[in-house]
Amino acid sequence: MNRTTMTIARHAVLRTWREKWGLISWLVIPMMLVFLMSLMSGGGSSPKPHGKVLVTDLDQSVLSQFLIGSIGQGPTAEFFTVKAVSKSEGQRLMDAGEASAWLMIEKNFMDDYLNKKPTIIRLRKNPAQTVLPNMVETGMEVMVDAADYLQMLFADELQRINKMVISGKYDDADLVALTLAIKRAIDDIESTLTPPQIKLEKYINLVEENQNKPRFNFALLMFPGAVFMSLLFAAMSMSMAFWDDKANGILPRLAVTPHGLRDYFIGKTAHAKAMFLITSLILMAIGVWYFEVDVTLLPLLIIWLVFSGVVIWQVLLFFSLLMPSRKSANIVVNAAMLPLAMLGGSFFPAETMAEGLAKLGSFLPNGMLLKAIKDVMVRGEPWQNALLWPFIIGLLVAMILWFINLRMVNRLAREARS
Amino acid sequence: MIKIQSLTKRYGELIAADDISFEVNPGEIFGLLGPNGAGKSTTINCLSGLLKPTSGDISINGHAVIGDGVAAKKHLGLVPQDLALYEDLSGRENLNFWGQAYGLSGPALNKRIDQVLAQVGLTDRQKDRVETYSGGMKRRLNFACAILHQPKALLLDEPTVGVDPQSRVHLLNSVRTLKEQGAAVIYTSHYMEEVEQLCDRIAIIDKGAIIAQGSIATLRKQMGEKDLIELKGNFSSIDVEVLKEYDVQEWKDNQVQFWCEHAASKLSEILQLFKDCDIKETSVKQANLESLFIKLTGRALRD
Repeated sequence: MNRTTMTIARHAVLRTWREKWGLISWLVIPMMLVFLMSLMSGGGSSPKPHGKVLVTDLDQSVLSQFLIGSIGQGPTAEFFTVKAVSKSEGQRLMDAGEASAWLMIEKNFMDDYLNKKPTIIRLRKNPAQTVLPNMVETGMEVMVDAADYLQMLFADELQRINKMVISGKYDDADLVALTLAIKRAIDDIESTLTPPQIKLEKYINLVEENQNKPRFNFALLMFPGAVFMSLLFAAMSMSMAFWDDKANGILPRLAVTPHGLRDYFIGKTAHAKAMFLITSLILMAIGVWYFEVDVTLLPLLIIWLVFSGVVIWQVLLFFSLLMPSRKSANIVVNAAMLPLAMLGGSFFPAETMAEGLAKLGSFLPNGMLLKAIKDVMVRGEPWQNALLWPFIIGLLVAMILWFINLRMVNRLAREARS
Repeated sequence: MIKIQSLTKRYGELIAADDISFEVNPGEIFGLLGPNGAGKSTTINCLSGLLKPTSGDISINGHAVIGDGVAAKKHLGLVPQDLALYEDLSGRENLNFWGQAYGLSGPALNKRIDQVLAQVGLTDRQKDRVETYSGGMKRRLNFACAILHQPKALLLDEPTVGVDPQSRVHLLNSVRTLKEQGAAVIYTSHYMEEVEQLCDRIAIIDKGAIIAQGSIATLRKQMGEKDLIELKGNFSSIDVEVLKEYDVQEWKDNQVQFWCEHAASKLSEILQLFKDCDIKETSVKQANLESLFIKLTGRALRD
């Protein structure tokens, strides 16, 4: 870049900066849309439903404590707070509708269980709620089934444990014998419980893959689309700036300076890159703060957004300069914005569109570039795979259009002086 | 300094510039006159490198505009008819922009900006946005942008259109200063009095071709120092033969124009010839550039 192009870029940035409302609208409108859409869809980042499970433990045994503890731990802990209550308090709270469910473990629960006698766990659900009480019911059914199977398989061992607990004596020899007995029983049933075709390592892989996946919610799904909408707004505004420069006489006058319109166009390209960089930096800061975008991806994402912005700008500029007047250019660019934003996945994520429309959108320049960044940002795909072809195609499109647009800018300058 | 040889520009069948040739020397102001659509803009656009001529050679300070365009344009300043300013920048910022576009920078640029601001009388308003300027101030700034790089050749395309008298004086004085500094200036204007005051030589273009060229004195001599008499009335009942002693420019049922030497002394005699024509208006244009222009082109300059 020489001095002329730097001057043109610097003054263009200065003018955009002075016209702050334009810049603000590029940023604020898409972000507002994401928040609104996110709210309308229930909010991907809104807190999960959380309920209260009351427990009245009349047995106060090891087994009953284990059962209560299992509700308040692991994945269910995200959904429930377990509160130990007396029978009367449980009754009062349930009547007041202040809990999702109430579990009551009867006296002698552990003894009856270990002695293979029928025993009861009472569950009372809050009829005003649907999901959470049913989750408690299902969880309890699974536990009861598991307890049944344990009773069938390890009846003797459980009996021996019971004796140890009652007596409070834990003899080493008894413990070894108990351990060996459990091991033998497990070995006996292994062929039934763990069919050889299901391999443990496969299971571990799946677990790891799931853990590596970022949190997938509607707002995060919308966010890249909103960023692209900002790029679209910025590109639209900058594609019309050439008509302004024609109208205010800058274009034809620059055409007769020593370095002419080529430097002007390079300067305008530098200005566009600077504006896309500013836009991307601000939006990605919001992304990191609110949408938990991976910070380590930031440099790559920002470079990609600037690149995408330039491609989109060149496309809109092509349509703009193809028109015979500013008015018609304005109409065409505005008309192009809506389908580009809609089909390209800026208003609605491609994931929520009909398959045909999503496919069509992926052929649009913004749709293609957006899909690539989403693959990296949301789906955690390796960037080399996700970005390579969109980059090559985008680069080719931008380069070809750059030369065509430069010719059309020259034509615009000649028209202005004739 | 500025040399145009056999410039021709065609758009298909239309000839916008037809074998135009002239030279402008250092320290000379050359007026380019012609009615709208005569070919002035085409000539200026070719001269500034915006249009490529169909044939012919154009050079500025010895550099061909086509072929050595960058060098030629370094010596050229253009004051376009339409303003070419960023209204949302200040006057100084606009000058900075155009100065850098012509390769100036640093302290040299700042010094030149101060000089031209003083020259066009905008030093006090240099930090204000151009959108707050009056029309005349914008015209002065527009002019200042073109002379920042001290061009050896300057094209002024109707620089005083819509300008208040104060700004007009500023601009015309600035042009004279440039002439004194040795610049070759091409000046186009619809204001004949400006051209008469300012230009050393003129060329009159019509229908793409130069129909007269030379100093104003020479052209006046060509015309024979005749005055143009214009009468308005009803001339449908008399014959054009009544004016056989005069050089008739135009004869219509409601208007007659003809050339006459020493019109003031012959006016009563002439009016006698048209006593039955219900004369409503009589005007005499003394031999000047405008009457010369009408004689050559058959049209007023603003037509």
